Amino acid sequence: MSDDIVLKVEDLHKNYGNVTVLKGVSFEVRRGETKIICGPSGSGKSTLLRCLNLITRPDKGRIWLEREEITNRNININKVRQKIGFVFQEFNLFNHLTALRNVSVGLEVVKKMNKDEARKIALEMLKKVGLEEHAHKYPAELSGGQKQRVAIARALAMNPAIIFYDEPTSALDPQLIGEVLEVMKALAREKVTSIVVTHEMGFALSVGDEMLFMYDGKIIERGIPQEVIQNPRCEEARRFFQRINELYVGKRR
Amino acid sequence: MVTVWDYLPYILEGVWWTLGLVAGGLALGFIIGLPLSIGQVYGHRILKLIVEIYAWFFRSVPLLVLLFLFYWGIFPATGYKLDPLTCSILVLGFRSGGYQSQIFRGAIQSIGEGQYIAARTLGMSKLQGIYHIILPQALRIAFPGWVNEYAIILKDSAICFVLGVMEILTRTRYVVMATLEPLLPYFIAGGLFIALTYGGTKLVNMVYEKTKIPGLIGRM
Repeated sequence: MSDDIVLKVEDLHKNYGNVTVLKGVSFEVRRGETKIICGPSGSGKSTLLRCLNLITRPDKGRIWLEREEITNRNININKVRQKIGFVFQEFNLFNHLTALRNVSVGLEVVKKMNKDEARKIALEMLKKVGLEEHAHKYPAELSGGQKQRVAIARALAMNPAIIFYDEPTSALDPQLIGEVLEVMKALAREKVTSIVVTHEMGFALSVGDEMLFMYDGKIIERGIPQEVIQNPRCEEARRFFQRINELYVGKRR
Repeated sequence: MVTVWDYLPYILEGVWWTLGLVAGGLALGFIIGLPLSIGQVYGHRILKLIVEIYAWFFRSVPLLVLLFLFYWGIFPATGYKLDPLTCSILVLGFRSGGYQSQIFRGAIQSIGEGQYIAARTLGMSKLQGIYHIILPQALRIAFPGWVNEYAIILKDSAICFVLGVMEILTRTRYVVMATLEPLLPYFIAGGLFIALTYGGTKLVNMVYEKTKIPGLIGRM
C-alpha cells in the first residue's frame, strides 16, 4: 500500500441481528482527498462511518489507517481514534465545558498536553473556524452553526489523519448551513483528508474529489461528483439525485 | 423543680449525633451509589443485575428491619460487634447507596449517549470519558435528587433511636421519661428536624447555584 493512501477499506460487512446493514464495502481514501458519500437513508452511510473508527465493530472485513490494520484485535483502539476526527450530525459538544475547553479537553486528557499548550492550540482552532470571540461561551449559548464549527475545531485540534463528517448540516436550520459548509470547504482546499456523508450537492460539486453512492449496504456507483450527480448510470442513483434536486431547488426558493 | 428547658442543652447535643448519622450515611451512600450507577449504565450484564438486586433489596426492606438485621444478625454472625452509632451509619449508608445509585443512574442516562461517543472518538478510554465528560454533568443534574436524599436520610436517622444512638429522638425520649412531660420535648425535637432540613437544603442549594452551568439544568 502506498504512503499516499490514508484509509483503505476492504469488504466491510455489518449485521444488526437479522438486518444486514453493510454488504461488502471497499474503497480507499488518498491523502488530501475529500470523499463524498451519499445515498438514501438506511443505505448504511452512518453505520459505515461508525465502523471505520470502530465505534461499531464490523462483522467482517479489514480497515487500514496509514498502513496500520486497525481491525486487528491487538491494536490500541484509543490510539487509533486520536487519528480520526469525527463530526456528528447532532454536534455532541460537551455541555459542561466552554467552547475553548471543548476543543482543548481531548488534548489534555488524551494527548496529555499541559493546560497552556492545549489552550493555545484550542484558540488557534477556534480562530480557524471563526469563533475565537466565542471561546468562553457554553454550548447552550451558541447557535447550531456555531456549535458545529466548535465540533469541527475539536476534531481538528487532535491533528487527525482524516476527518469523518456524518451529515454535519442535516440538523441545522437552512440559514446556518452556509457558515458550516464554508469552514468545511476551506479545510478541503487546505487538503485536509476527509470523508463527508452529506446531501449538500453544492458542497460535493465544489470540493468533492470522488463521490460514492451507497444503496442497500453497498457502493453501487462511484466517480467524480459531477458525473455521478448529473449522469448517474444506475436507476437507484438517478432517482435519488432527482429527489435531492427537487428538494434542493424547493428549499432555496 | 427541673423543667424541660433545663434539658434543652442535653437535647441540642443530639444534633451533632444526628448530623453525624446523616453525614456518614450520605457519604457512604455516595461512595457506594456512584460506582453502582456507573456499573448499571456502562457495565456488563451481570454487573447490571447485581446492582439492580442490591438497590432493590435496600429499597424494599424497611429501615427498622435493616437496623435489627445488621445489628443483631449479620454483624454478630460475621464476628463484628459494632457499636450502635457505627452500625447505624453503615446501615443508613448501605441503604442510601441503593437510593443514590438510582439518582445517579437517572442523571447519567439523561445526558444521552452522544457526548460519551464523542469522547470516545477523541480517543478517550471508557473511564476517561465517564470521568471527564459524563460525571461532571451527571453530578450537577443529580443535585436536586441528592438534596432530597439528604432530607430523607435526616428524617430516617431518627429511627436509629431503637439501637440507642444518642441522637435527637433518643435524648428527647429520655427527657420525656424524666419530666413526664411529652408535649414540649417532642415539639422541640420536631422543630430541630425542621431547622436541619431547611438549613441543610439551603446550604446545598447555595453550592448548586455556584456550580450551575448555562443550559445544563437540574430541576430544583
